[in-house]
Parts: sequence; structure tokens; C-alpha cells
Amino acid sequence: MLEAFLYFIQQTLNGLTIGSTYALIAIGYTMVYGIIGMINFAHGEIYMIGTYISFVVIAGLTMLGVQYIPIILLVALLAAILVSSSFGWAIERTAYRPLRGANRLIPLISAIGMSIFLQNYVVLAQGARDVAIPPIITGGWTFGTSDFEMTLSYMQVMIFVVTFLCMFALTQFISKSRMGRACRAVAEDLKMANLLGINTNRVISATFVIGAALAAVAGLLLGLYYGVANPHIGFIAGLKAFTAAVLGGIGSIPGAMLGGLILGLTEAYTAGYFSTEYKDVVSFSLLVLILLFKPTGLLGKPDVEKI
Amino acid sequence: MTKYNKLKSLGASVLLMGAAAMTQAETIKIALAGPVTGAVAQYGDMQMIGAKMAIEKINEAGGVNGNKLEGVVYDDACDPKQAVAVANKVVNDGISFVVGHLCSSSTQPASDIYEDEGILMVTAASTSPDITERGYQMVFRTIGLDSHQGPVAGNYIADTVKPKNMAIIHDKQQYGEGIASAVKKTVEAKGVNVVMYEGITAGDKDFSSLIAKMSKANVDFVYYGGYHPELGLILRQSAEKGLKAGFMGPEGVGNKDISQIAGQASEGLLVTLPPSFDADPRNKDLVESFKAKGQDPSGAFVLTSYSAVQVMADAMKKTGGTDTDAIQKAMREMTFDTPTGKIQFDAKGDLKEFDFVVYNWHADGTKTVAK
Repeated sequence: MLEAFLYFIQQTLNGLTIGSTYALIAIGYTMVYGIIGMINFAHGEIYMIGTYISFVVIAGLTMLGVQYIPIILLVALLAAILVSSSFGWAIERTAYRPLRGANRLIPLISAIGMSIFLQNYVVLAQGARDVAIPPIITGGWTFGTSDFEMTLSYMQVMIFVVTFLCMFALTQFISKSRMGRACRAVAEDLKMANLLGINTNRVISATFVIGAALAAVAGLLLGLYYGVANPHIGFIAGLKAFTAAVLGGIGSIPGAMLGGLILGLTEAYTAGYFSTEYKDVVSFSLLVLILLFKPTGLLGKPDVEKI
Repeated sequence: MTKYNKLKSLGASVLLMGAAAMTQAETIKIALAGPVTGAVAQYGDMQMIGAKMAIEKINEAGGVNGNKLEGVVYDDACDPKQAVAVANKVVNDGISFVVGHLCSSSTQPASDIYEDEGILMVTAASTSPDITERGYQMVFRTIGLDSHQGPVAGNYIADTVKPKNMAIIHDKQQYGEGIASAVKKTVEAKGVNVVMYEGITAGDKDFSSLIAKMSKANVDFVYYGGYHPELGLILRQSAEKGLKAGFMGPEGVGNKDISQIAGQASEGLLVTLPPSFDADPRNKDLVESFKAKGQDPSGAFVLTSYSAVQVMADAMKKTGGTDTDAIQKAMREMTFDTPTGKIQFDAKGDLKEFDFVVYNWHADGTKTVAK
């Protein structure tokens, strides 16, 4: 009995860990969609670049003889956020802004092009192979009996805490700050916000930068958690995060968080109680079901036709 | 000169250049097809250095029937779709000889095209039995089969490891699932208790749920059918989560990158590999030539690739031409003396004999024969 309960808790923790990082990446998709109504397909690549930058920084600092882990992580985090945000900003400037006002299909294609470009750029710059770093944050707590031991690693706790802090900061930023208010206004009605004197271009740039910064945080966390990266990890992660965003209701920030957690938990429970083989089948069937009954996603607002 | 005349003379000079190229000494091109990029590019490297070394040695010794060999590299990234594109490109480039492909799931679709077009293909690494099961004439391999490798692994598990609760995991690909089911069959026939048989998705990064499940089922030994990126992560995460189990995998996991990914967790991993041909005293000079170039001859597919080139070259010499149909007939009759031993092909194009050996893998990327 106790084993069954501990096993359930273990799978829940596993699901929440992976779900939190899906949520962090999903916010980038949902914010951009909320404001300009387009899917930024290059967003997964931003996450991948975040992982690479943190690996480079961690390897560099370790080589320089820095041994104090919090310093290494802090520098890696800042560097990853800085570089990834610059990429986010540059993507908006080069792949979206020149196409503002064009047919919706055109920026979509340029985003896919950007995604292919970034993947191959990293292949050329860093090589196509898996790169790995040794485990940095090791250890954790174990509970349970000799039959089944539940483990909660420090790394998992760090993922929960950092994700929670990021979400909290983002919610505060959107609801309290001047730029956050502008973001909401632009999401409501871009043309009207423009007429009322909001610099919409700046707001859109800020959205890309914030989304990229969160993806960089996810990149660092998942990089540390798995210890491995290659130039193609952005594709799968992006696909999962996009699913999470659609599940929760694309355009809604709480929806992206909820969608990420639901997706992570579904995957963990399916793998844990049924079979790893059917993990993706079940997650995507769930997505189809939810969209059938609630086409806007769990927390999405129905699109009111503006006259 | 009028414009028309200018054009005419240009055309003539182009024709002349073409004719000049025709009269130069011929080179026989061999396509080297395998993953140059992607997650399993290490194995592609092994194949490329082995095949290129063979081409170089054969050319140094005067070539084939007075012609030089030339290797042309094609990248299929271990992707079946890309492999078909590569095969079509080989056809369009007019090349009649292929060493490759590497991943079984790439070799299978590509070989359909080679067979149709009369292109001779020798793979030095694809071990899936299905590849030679279709009665093709142009498809050969210089490595053993999973239907041999699986029983070697299975017998070792049942006779030496003797696990109480065993799990078999595979990556749902032709190679991984094929070998996993061969191992399952062998160990179950010997009475080993297999409590889990599951597939994962190649490219997955999170195996925490799977590991929790194995630890709940009290699994004490895991066989993994697939490649090293996934097994490396499973090893690493198992160590972090405190799963106390032994691990074993086929030759697709046996390269230095698994130690880089899994670190200390890769110590003691069991791997079935072709024998260490580079340790054979007969190959001493050849091993020196690799080392002189800074290349590592110990990779599982380096010398099998060398043999793949050599058997084609020897058969070309025997038939005195480049007619692939005559060559494939000759290959089925000849005995070749190669760095991987004296080899003969059976009617299907498989080797008549090939052994796999169980090795202990170490955290520094080296291996020793398992007792």
C-alpha cells in the first residue's frame, strides 16, 4: 500500500519536473501569439541556444578554476538569458518586423526558415554531436522502504523553485508594471493601442525578449538536469511546449503554465502505469479531446469577432 | 567574329574539354554512405576512416586493374528518408559501388534502390537480419547479424549474470527492437524472468518515469536495444535515482561518447561487439598506419569497413572489370583474406562466420573482454 502511494508520488514529482520546464518554454509561444497572433516556430531553437550557452559558460568557468557552484550557475544563467534574449530580439527584427502586416502565412514561413537556420548555425559552430557536462547538482532525499525507494533530487527541487519564481515574477510584471500594462493593451487591440500612443513595436520586441529569457532559464535547468545537449533538442522541446500552450489555451499565460503541468503529468503517469511507448499517443490524444470539446484550450478566451 | 561564331567555338571547346576528361586515366568511384552528422555520427566516422584507409592502401599498391579508387562521402544522418535521397543521388552521380549504409533502418530502404539499379552495396555495420532476407543479389555485409549477436548477449545474461528480474528496453527502431527481441527469445528460453519489455522514443531525454517503474519492479538487470545517446541518459539518470541494476547493450552503444554522457555510470556496462580486430597481430602494420594519421582503429566498424572496400576491389580484380553483376557472382564464390579474417559470403550475401564478443565497458571509454 505504502509502496503504491510512494510510487504515485514519485511519478507525480517526475511529471511536475518535466511539466514545469514545458511551461517555461510554452510561455514564449503563448505571449507572442497573444500579442501578434502568430506562432514563433524558432522559439524551440532559443531554448536550445540557452542550453548551449550555459554549457559553454559552465565548462569555461570550471576550466578557469571556479569551484563555487552557485557562482557558476548564476553566471551561466545570466549569460544564457542575455544571449538568448538577444537572439529573441534579433529574430523579431529580422524575421517578423519586416513582414508586419503581410499575409499570416508569410511570417510563419520565415519563422520556420529561422528555425532551420539557427539549428544549422549551431551544428556548424558547435558540431552535430551530443555534448555533455558532468552532473553538477547531485544528491537528494530518499524516502520509503526496501521495496520501493522514492527519490527527490536537489535538481528537481531547484527546477520547481526556479520555475515558480519565474512564473511569479512574470505575473507581477504583466499585472503591475507599465510595460506589462502596455503588453495587455496590445494583446487586446494592437491598432487601438497604437493610436493611444503605445509604442507597439517596443512592446512586441519586449515580448520576444521575455519569452526568450524564460526559454533560456528552461535551457539551463534542463541542461543541468539531463547533462546532454545537441543542436536538435529544440525541435522536440518546442513541439511539446507548443502542445502545452495550445492545451492551456494559446494566448493565455496561466493557460501555458497549466498546460505544461498537465502535459508533464500525463506523460509521467502514462509511462509509469501503462507503457513508455504510449506516452506521446496518450498526451496527444488528450490534446485532441480537449480541443474537440473546448476549441480555445482550457483557459483560452473565445476569439470575439471585432467589428 | 559574329556572335554565332563565338557561340560555336564555345560549344566546340566545351566538347573538347569533355573529350579530354574521357581520355584521362579512369577512377572507380565508391560511395561511402553513412551518418556524417547527427546523433550517431561517431559510427559514421569509424566507417569513413576504415574505408578511406582501404582505398588509400589499394591505390598505393597500384589500384584495381590499373585504375585508381576514389571514395565519395554521402551523409544520410542515420535518417531513413535521407538515406533514400542519398541512394538516388548515388544513382544520378553514376556510381556503381557503395560502402554503407550504417544504420539498419537506413540501409533497408536504400538497398531497394541499389538492387533495382544494379549498384553493388556492402554494409560494414548494419546488423538487422531483414536486410538480406529479401533475396537481393547486390546487397552484402561484412559484419554479423543481430540473430547471432542477440543469442551471444542472451546466453551471457542467462549463464553468467543470472538476473532475478530482468527488463528489456528498446528504441522501437529496426535495429534496436530487432536485437531486443532476439535477446528476449534467448533469455526466456533459458528461464530468465523478464518482467518488463518496453519501447522508448529515440531522442527522448527524460527517463525518470521509466526508471521509477523499473525500480518498483525490482529490476536488477537491464538490456537496452538501441544507440548510445538514449542509453547514456538512462545510465546517468539511473545512477542519480539510485536504481541498482546492471546494464547491457549491443554494439550500437559501444563508443566513447557513452562514457562522456554517462560518466562514472558507464563503468561496468556490458557490450557485445565484433572482436577487437585491431588487437590481432596480423593487423599490426595497418593499425600503425591509422595511428600515424591520428585515427583510432579500435572502433567497432573501422576494420569491417576496410574489409568492405577490399572485397569489392578483390572481386573487381578477379573479374577484370566493373560489371557489378559479374562482381556479385564472383563475391559469392571467392574467399577474401581481410583484416577481419578470412571471409566468405553465403547465397544471401551474409558472412558465413562472424563472432561477437562480450566486453566490459569502462568510464574512460576503454573496454576489456568480460569473463
